[in-house]
Amino acid sequence: MPSENKPAIAQGQKSKPEPAIVVSHVSMLFKRAKDEATSVKELLVRAVRGQNHYEMFKALDDINLTIQKGEVVGIIGTNGSGKSTLLKIISGALIPTRGKVLVDRKSVQLLTLGTGFDPELTGRENVYLNGAIIGYPKSFIDQKYRAIVQFAELEGFMEEKVRNYSSGMVSRLGFAIATIRDTPEILILDEVLSVGDMFFRQKSEARIREMIHGGSTVLMVSHSTSVIQANCSRAVWIEKGRLRADGNPKEVCRAYETLKEM
Amino acid sequence: MIDAQQGKQYAFVIRQLTARELKRKYARSYLGIIWSVLNPLLSMVVLSLIFSQLFRRSIENYPIYYLTGNILWQAFTGATNASMTSLVDNKMLLLKVKFPMELFILTRVYTALINLGYSLIAYVIMLFVFQVSPKWTMLFSPLIILFLFLFSLGISYMLATAYVFFGDVKHLYTVLLTIWMYCSAIFYPVEQLQGIIRVVIWNNPLYTFIHCMRKAVMMGALPERIEWFQMLFWSLGVYAIGSLIFQKNRNRIMQKL
Repeated sequence: MPSENKPAIAQGQKSKPEPAIVVSHVSMLFKRAKDEATSVKELLVRAVRGQNHYEMFKALDDINLTIQKGEVVGIIGTNGSGKSTLLKIISGALIPTRGKVLVDRKSVQLLTLGTGFDPELTGRENVYLNGAIIGYPKSFIDQKYRAIVQFAELEGFMEEKVRNYSSGMVSRLGFAIATIRDTPEILILDEVLSVGDMFFRQKSEARIREMIHGGSTVLMVSHSTSVIQANCSRAVWIEKGRLRADGNPKEVCRAYETLKEM
Repeated sequence: MIDAQQGKQYAFVIRQLTARELKRKYARSYLGIIWSVLNPLLSMVVLSLIFSQLFRRSIENYPIYYLTGNILWQAFTGATNASMTSLVDNKMLLLKVKFPMELFILTRVYTALINLGYSLIAYVIMLFVFQVSPKWTMLFSPLIILFLFLFSLGISYMLATAYVFFGDVKHLYTVLLTIWMYCSAIFYPVEQLQGIIRVVIWNNPLYTFIHCMRKAVMMGALPERIEWFQMLFWSLGVYAIGSLIFQKNRNRIMQKL
């Protein structure tokens, strides 16, 4: 076991460029009742009988990761391996049980699809709602509204309720809203690059590349090793909460694929 | 710690979320927001028809007596019921937001306040219809509503936190609300009651809000010193406890969601 009180930036000092994200010794424990009481009555009954057994579930186990500015890092791993937990910790939605994350939260943009849309509202209303939620001021949305609609290819649909949109249309709109701002410094993509038809996918990958070119640090999660190999400069493999491999995307993906085949 | 720009952004978010709540609520109805005005009016008519004869001697201007209690009660239950589920409803959003999650709770309570505003239109119309003369004490009613708002917010914090861990809270609260309603003297006169129930009612914060509102509007009287104290005590106290509970459990809520 590595000691807990190592200096936080120890890893970042190896290379010259400034680190954008430093994850040091991060562990995440979830207290999980073996079979959880979901009602007050159950809880009381068990408390009286002393039956509230908890087991600690380690979602992340001592993860160390330093990401330099301008790197494009792909994270792979099977379902439930802790990928999204790590993203949530980096974006600040969760606070880790142990360890530290150094990152400028203001410049982090987490992009997940299909969230934050209200089916009962029109496309236009959703642009404003979603924009407000991810932190755009009203003036900015007013100004960029047309560009968003254009990018999403939804001209003529904006006064319709999102309930009537196809799932591809919804993800296009989500993607357009989230990426309209001038290259956030740190972009976190959660399974984003596999939506829409082939043409939109090309377009969105081009947009992501544009952002990468503009100096964004990108962290993406994907099940598809081909997406990661095509877009990333580095890959990280997380399995059962532990860091299994870190390095060249081709090698990491190959190692991951051999495990899957077993 | 919240700078002006951030505050402005939060206000924008609350406006957007509130607009969503209101649009959703009336998404499939033709009359839309007018229901917020019609609803209290219709229930007032019904209750007045039933009870006017019964309480004729003891309550002057029964429809207004009832309506005053009812709109405040509706605002309170609307706010707390809606915000109880707010965190769970917005689970997906919570994971990508960059603002504190109490904004979701605040939004639901604020939405109820806006609804109360519409109901007050109906209320004012009825004041004219029943020839309640304007009084300067009516100017204090916004203050009473502010106290009610804080009180509701505090309760909402507690309920929203509890609901994340136990779904049953919703059903329990429905039962509790029924008891609470009967103890708030919304549609009956309180003077006839004796004994323990009278004590309960006098110490019921909602009754205090309603009672002070009735006095200000119908009798032109200000709350007495003890009533000011009660209102301050309940609204600030409950608000403080509610937000404390919420803050303490913030991290556990995120994990549970």
